[in-house]
Amino acid sequence: MQTPQSSLVDALVELRAAAVGMRLGLPIDGAPAAVATQHELVGQIDDYLLPRLRQLDAPLLMVVGGSTGAGKSTLVNSLVGAAVSAAGVLRPTTRAPVLVCNPGDVDWFTGDRVLPGLPRSTGAQGGHHALHVVPHPQVPQGLALLDAPDIDSVVTENRELSRQLLAAADLWLFVTTAARYADAVPWDLLHAARARSTALAVVLNRAPPGSGPEVSAHLREMLQDNGLGDSSLFVVDESVLDERGMLADASIAPVRGWMNTLGADAEARAAVVRGTLVGALDSIPQRVNTLANAAEAQRSAAAALLAEAHAAYARARDEVDEGVTSGALLRGEVLARWQDFVGTGEFMRSLESRIGVLRDRLRAAFSGRPPAGTELKAALESSVESLVRAAADRAADRTYESWSASAAGRALVGSGAAHLARASTTLPAAVEREVRAWQGHVLELVSQEGAGKRTAARFLSYSVNAAGLAVMVTVFAHTGGLTGGEVAVAGGTSALGQKLLEAVFGDQAVRALAESARTDLLARVESVLAAERERFDERAIAAVAGADAAAQLRAAGALVGAARRGAFAASRP
Amino acid sequence: MGRTARRAPSGLSSRLAALAEVVLIADGRLSESTVTPARMLVERAGARLALGPHLTVVALAGGTGSGKSSLFNALAEVDLATTGVRRPTTSAAQACVWGSDPADELLEWVGATQRHRLGDGSAGELDGLVLLDLPDHDSTAVAHQLEVNRLVELVDVLVWVLDPQKYADAAVHDTYLRPLAGHSAVLVVVLNQIDLLDVAARESCLADVGRLVAQDGLRDVPVIATSTRTGAGVADLRQLLAVRVAAKHAAVLRLEADVDRTAIAFAAAGDQGAIPKSDSTPARSVSKQGKQDLVRALASAAGADVVVDAVVRDHRRQAAGMTGWPFTTWLRKLRPDPLRRLHLSPSQPVESSRSSLPAASPVQLARVTNATNAASDSVTSQLPQPWPRLVRRAAGSREADLPDVLDRAVAGTQLTSGRRPAWWSVVRLLQRALGAAALIGVLWLALLFVFSYFRLPEPPTPKVREIPWPTLLLLGGVLLGWLVAVISRYVARAAAARRGRRARRALDERIAAIADEAILAPMMAEVEVYQAFRAALSRTVRS
Repeated sequence: MQTPQSSLVDALVELRAAAVGMRLGLPIDGAPAAVATQHELVGQIDDYLLPRLRQLDAPLLMVVGGSTGAGKSTLVNSLVGAAVSAAGVLRPTTRAPVLVCNPGDVDWFTGDRVLPGLPRSTGAQGGHHALHVVPHPQVPQGLALLDAPDIDSVVTENRELSRQLLAAADLWLFVTTAARYADAVPWDLLHAARARSTALAVVLNRAPPGSGPEVSAHLREMLQDNGLGDSSLFVVDESVLDERGMLADASIAPVRGWMNTLGADAEARAAVVRGTLVGALDSIPQRVNTLANAAEAQRSAAAALLAEAHAAYARARDEVDEGVTSGALLRGEVLARWQDFVGTGEFMRSLESRIGVLRDRLRAAFSGRPPAGTELKAALESSVESLVRAAADRAADRTYESWSASAAGRALVGSGAAHLARASTTLPAAVEREVRAWQGHVLELVSQEGAGKRTAARFLSYSVNAAGLAVMVTVFAHTGGLTGGEVAVAGGTSALGQKLLEAVFGDQAVRALAESARTDLLARVESVLAAERERFDERAIAAVAGADAAAQLRAAGALVGAARRGAFAASRP
Repeated sequence: MGRTARRAPSGLSSRLAALAEVVLIADGRLSESTVTPARMLVERAGARLALGPHLTVVALAGGTGSGKSSLFNALAEVDLATTGVRRPTTSAAQACVWGSDPADELLEWVGATQRHRLGDGSAGELDGLVLLDLPDHDSTAVAHQLEVNRLVELVDVLVWVLDPQKYADAAVHDTYLRPLAGHSAVLVVVLNQIDLLDVAARESCLADVGRLVAQDGLRDVPVIATSTRTGAGVADLRQLLAVRVAAKHAAVLRLEADVDRTAIAFAAAGDQGAIPKSDSTPARSVSKQGKQDLVRALASAAGADVVVDAVVRDHRRQAAGMTGWPFTTWLRKLRPDPLRRLHLSPSQPVESSRSSLPAASPVQLARVTNATNAASDSVTSQLPQPWPRLVRRAAGSREADLPDVLDRAVAGTQLTSGRRPAWWSVVRLLQRALGAAALIGVLWLALLFVFSYFRLPEPPTPKVREIPWPTLLLLGGVLLGWLVAVISRYVARAAAARRGRRARRALDERIAAIADEAILAPMMAEVEVYQAFRAALSRTVRS
């Protein structure tokens, strides 16, 4: 039987898995904030919620956080009465976090129960990013002090690490100074604390002598305005440090008294832990919602980009379609070749299958030129290739242009992607392959049609090859695009081709054959263009989360909400 | 008015002119995010230089609680700005002007509403200084930050006031100092409130500030330690400002640094790498092969093959009409005239009339597009983005007009001279003579037949070697006529082929001119725009 706690843990693990894989790659509005939310959520589940839920009776972790130069380390040292964390005038002073706890509690912190991502160091001061655990009897049992790096210095790792540590805290001891208390950065964090109902105590350090009351009154006012009025506020006057670099006992007495009281009162500690834990859990639905909304916004932005690409390539397909169906492919090289083919009487000859083939081969052997039929195929290939390449170039340019117009699209086709503005280099080869496959398909169509007809016997005496060629040409002429002068110039011979075909297959069958051949060619062109478009598609798809990621996240969030109500039903004040 | 309207040094003004040119070219071609700051700089520079470049606008900037206002008061030696412990203290920029020049317009431009003036008497070495006390940039008051962002772009000298608590804040370094990396000449860094530190700490703290500032990419920036409480270092800062004010070129230095930064931004925007010192490489032009391909594609789209074919057949038809056997030539008149059917008049071209040539097929147009793209790519292979695309677009800019332009060209081309070869007339005369001979032979024979039919005495018939004359006339006329017609046809066929080639050449010339005018000229014009851009950009670089 699962306890409410363990089902909550399971739900959180699931939520973490759903959140951590969320891709938010498009720089649309709110994306940076969503990425930050994602990091925060995953970090808090790892560093705080899971360890805390697994062991509700672990010592209370009080994180001392604040701006650089606010005197966090000095305060910790003074509270403990020993130089456990280096203090100094160079900013930022503290780079590796220091955790001070009662010697009886050390075991809670040396394992990877809390902050599993941070290596531990004991003994001498550890390197960057190692959590330095210092046992000291002055710290009451059941309570641990963590001196975090600053939240706002130029050292980026410090800023990131301090936020991670604050997210892992049961209680924030927020240190600010008279010069700092109105800074924007700390207030952003305090807002986050309020949003998650994190237990909070504020120390106003370095209050100039004499003006302490004015400053603390203003700070209290600000706290109240920001909905943090019920946090404890301690004022520590600016004073000369003693020879050990400690604040005078008198000035920190209120803070130390408060800490010791908390240390002595297990129930009060439990209440603080519970309050922060429940607050963090209750903030999850909203954060999940933010994240899911962001993922959906990303998907719709990607869908808009995809739609632009699809529209451009659909237009390219229409352009090719028009080029093929208008019958105009007949003109130019195709026409010239076809006229060669028909005009030399070769069509008639190659219709007599065996002799024709033999003659083709003889001719090729003597003249070194490929038989006329081969040339016709080559002309078809190059015509279709020209059409497809021009259309694909245009589509690539159009897509590139329209993607460049939006910030999201620009990120995808930005520097290093200039080649996307034109058709890919493999296009001609792909078109050639498809046209060859199409020609094969047409020949097959003709032989099937021939075999199934009553005219089979008659047909068998003709060359399937030449009939297939005639179908290909008919495809381009059949749709009736030939008009006026063109008929006079071009039509005669292709009409002859069609007549011959009709004689073999019958009028209706030729029409069906031509239509089926045309449809097949267009389908192949479409697949080539789709491969071209894929270059854009894959970029857009790779940047955003999968289709059901947002829904999965919401479901996981709802599961956490339900489990949270099961675990802490009566605890909500 | 005591203002001495000085002109900016020619170096800056020519660089600004070059930048204006760059902006003009880049507008609509390069991304807005690159062009807009440059355009704003050109405008700002014009405005600033018109408003007294000899005045020096110095701003005290910094975080809340660093002591900007205290420093402002210490420099002015009067308590002008409110100082206090409630944060943030200063909410609007305050100005203080030293010296005789009231600098009203300049202050108006800067947007400082609260102004103080220290008259001639107390100006001293700072005559010409306009000192601004900015609001903070890091407090919860967002409006303050916006005001600072605006003013940081406008002022000539930025005095960044730090203090021992805040000197390593990301808000200072990441947001302001690093983006000003090229602006060393414009910046002064002050570490205020050093009275809070003992002597040893002061030294190491100053060194640390120097280290961080150097890390921001700012070298040779003076770092001065001050304390408004003890007065330490204020005189040094004053002295430093006095030097800057006396030099009277702080505004120019600031703008020069701004132009540097903008030029680098342009170079980076187009992956151009380093900005060229001078650009003398001539534009690569389209290769002969590339142009040939283009002309061939255009000729095919224009229906040149059809036209040449018609010219050849027309010539043969006409030749046959003139030199053929006179008794059958009338039959040829029934055949259609191939050129007229295309609505072409080869010897008197009329450009305005539309020919009846079949419209260019999608395949032919696609080939023109492909050849155009290939030509454009061959020229732009060395160009940075987005120029290859711009050149392609320029090359294809008249694509839609091409069919009509080509048709006009074909209709307007003199395909043949229109003159008929002289030998045609000779042959025609000969054919008529032969025809007449045959006719005479026939009539003579008929006469002989009538004589013999009516049993009349036959008139004496002259003979050539046993063959009577009339028979000779008839057979000779017919046979020789046929022979002449056949020979003429072969001669005319060769001539027609020659004419076809000539027509082909005329068409190709005409079409090559179109390729130049409608495709290559706009394309090369865009390449030249790029070169002008490069050249202008290289002129924005400090010489």
